[in-house]
Amino acid sequence: MSLKRNITIETLVISLLVSIMTIILMGLFLDFETTTLSIGTEVLKNNEAVTKSANAVTSVVTYFRGFDTLGEVTILFLSIFGIGLGLEGYKEKLNIFAYDNNLLKIAVDVLFPLIILFGFYVIIHGHLSPGGGFQGGVIIASAFLLMFLAKNNDFSLNHKIMELIEALSGASFILIGVLGLLIVNRFFDNFLPLGTIGNLFSGGIIPLIYIFVGLKVSAEITALVEYFIRIKDVE
Amino acid sequence: MIGLIVLFIFITLIILAVAIIINEDLPHSVILFMGFGLGNVILFFLFSAPDVALTEAVIGTGISGVVFLVTLLQIRSKEIKK
Repeated sequence: MSLKRNITIETLVISLLVSIMTIILMGLFLDFETTTLSIGTEVLKNNEAVTKSANAVTSVVTYFRGFDTLGEVTILFLSIFGIGLGLEGYKEKLNIFAYDNNLLKIAVDVLFPLIILFGFYVIIHGHLSPGGGFQGGVIIASAFLLMFLAKNNDFSLNHKIMELIEALSGASFILIGVLGLLIVNRFFDNFLPLGTIGNLFSGGIIPLIYIFVGLKVSAEITALVEYFIRIKDVE
Repeated sequence: MIGLIVLFIFITLIILAVAIIINEDLPHSVILFMGFGLGNVILFFLFSAPDVALTEAVIGTGISGVVFLVTLLQIRSKEIKK
């Protein structure tokens, strides 16, 4: 098996068709607001009164479409589970850099806590500024990716703690939905005081949901990166 | 002005996409793919979707590129051992 591949006429035709479709889609965007934004204007009109969250995207993802977020988290969990099953025998870690890169090792020690801090900032301020659970979780996972790349054999994760974080945050995410069902009679409805818009402690259950989603996503993506960096034992 | 920037990025993205397919060296195409993700980030930001831009910046240019590169390295190390 070689790393080169053959270019056929088919791939060129497919890429041409895809670019034509992109241009047509661009044309649709130009009069997008007049044709198909009725739900969007409704949500933007009622967002401030209903959720008190400054970021309307966050209130759509966690409040108006909270059930869809549950589906997304489930899809991510199942895909990581499948990758874990497929790469089961891979134990030893791949040595990506052939030599010890001292500069990278020292720089990573400085960068690692800063990236983790930025990830948690993005998660906690999900209802105030752009970002949220998914984005912050992936930022935290990228810090671990940097650690794996720089300190290949000196750095390993505690799998018990990772599994505990992942399972507990997933269970609490569903527990919040069930509490909404019990208290306000709607799955993923708000049962906490709303507060004033723009404060850190506002928006009811939205920050809580995003904290749990962020912990779950960061644990899962870190596990994915670790699965890919391992290599099978060569006899 | 923003329309011109969007048009420029669209044309660049189409050229990059064709280059990713045509390129014969797979690690090269992965690097081009990460550049493609960067163009997407600017486009999402200009279309006022900063949430999606943040996700694309981390996943499209960071993690997926590194996962592709690591997979290529795994295949290559197996070839060398055989």
